Amino acid sequence: MRDWKALVEERLAGLALEPEDKAEVIAEVATHLEEICEEMVRQGISDEEAVRRTLSRVGDWGDLQRKIFAAKRRGHPMKKRIWQLWVPGFLTMILSMLFLTVLYRLGWRARLVSSGPNAILLYTPWLAGLPFFGALGAFLSSRAGGSRVNALLVSVFPALALTFAFLFMFPFGMTAELIMGRPVDFSHVATVLLKDGIGWIVAPGAALLVGGLLAHALLRTRSSSQHTAIG
Amino acid sequence: MIAPGIKRGTAELAVLSVLEDGPLHGYEMARRIEEQTHGSLRFTLASLYPLLYKLEKRGWVRGAWETGDTGRRRRCYRLTAEGKKKLAPIRREWDELFRALKRLTKVSHA
Repeated sequence: MRDWKALVEERLAGLALEPEDKAEVIAEVATHLEEICEEMVRQGISDEEAVRRTLSRVGDWGDLQRKIFAAKRRGHPMKKRIWQLWVPGFLTMILSMLFLTVLYRLGWRARLVSSGPNAILLYTPWLAGLPFFGALGAFLSSRAGGSRVNALLVSVFPALALTFAFLFMFPFGMTAELIMGRPVDFSHVATVLLKDGIGWIVAPGAALLVGGLLAHALLRTRSSSQHTAIG
Repeated sequence: MIAPGIKRGTAELAVLSVLEDGPLHGYEMARRIEEQTHGSLRFTLASLYPLLYKLEKRGWVRGAWETGDTGRRRRCYRLTAEGKKKLAPIRREWDELFRALKRLTKVSHA
């Protein structure tokens, strides 16, 4: 039995599409050729001859490759990134922050985990809702054709944005304190950074990622399990 | 046999028309078009797939991987609502062109 995928892959090696798109095209063309070949064999043509004739039907593989590339070529990479990363990312962030505001207005407060000076504040109701926003972000990115990495980046986008805010806020705050002549207790800053980092970045990031991973897994399962009888 | 230049223009209409009857994968689509036109229209891979991908990009058809009874996975194409909407004017344009050409050739043969 011929490996039609390998035969096509070899001939369309130069097809400059994204790996997922390229694999789809190769699989599709390979299935088509395999069916032509099988039809020839059914008509009594020898296996070797059928393969030779099937491959010759394509004629110019370079021409096929160029035409497929021209037809499949997508928009500008930057434009693509906007819809696969930035728009769903900012949307996930805005919605998750709105959700936090709503919870706060409704009287849901942060819960202290452990007691004492090293207690970590966790907004548990917010954390419980975050997987949904992570899943929504991953879904939107995947729908726009985003890769797995893109979808997962979008799902944790709010946590990434908070990381940047923290990284900017702390040095800025410390510099301001030093300028004003106030002593800076670096061990205190490190403790606050760690506590807030866990409460505002690590825990929400994990919750968002859970949602993103679930949504991505669900979308993959759905797209590969459509069973319909054909012909 | 129809000249390739003329065929090229009809390819879109042929694909959309054959998909109007229901979803098809590439091989079956090419086979049906060839059968229904008694071999006058024949699609090569280099003409069929780039056209399908263009139509998909325009949103006129939608392709999805499906598994048949034999367990073989094929990419099946369906006409979208947008594609159905586009098919009617394309068909009208070709009808008009054929009628005009018929009139013209009748006059010139008279």
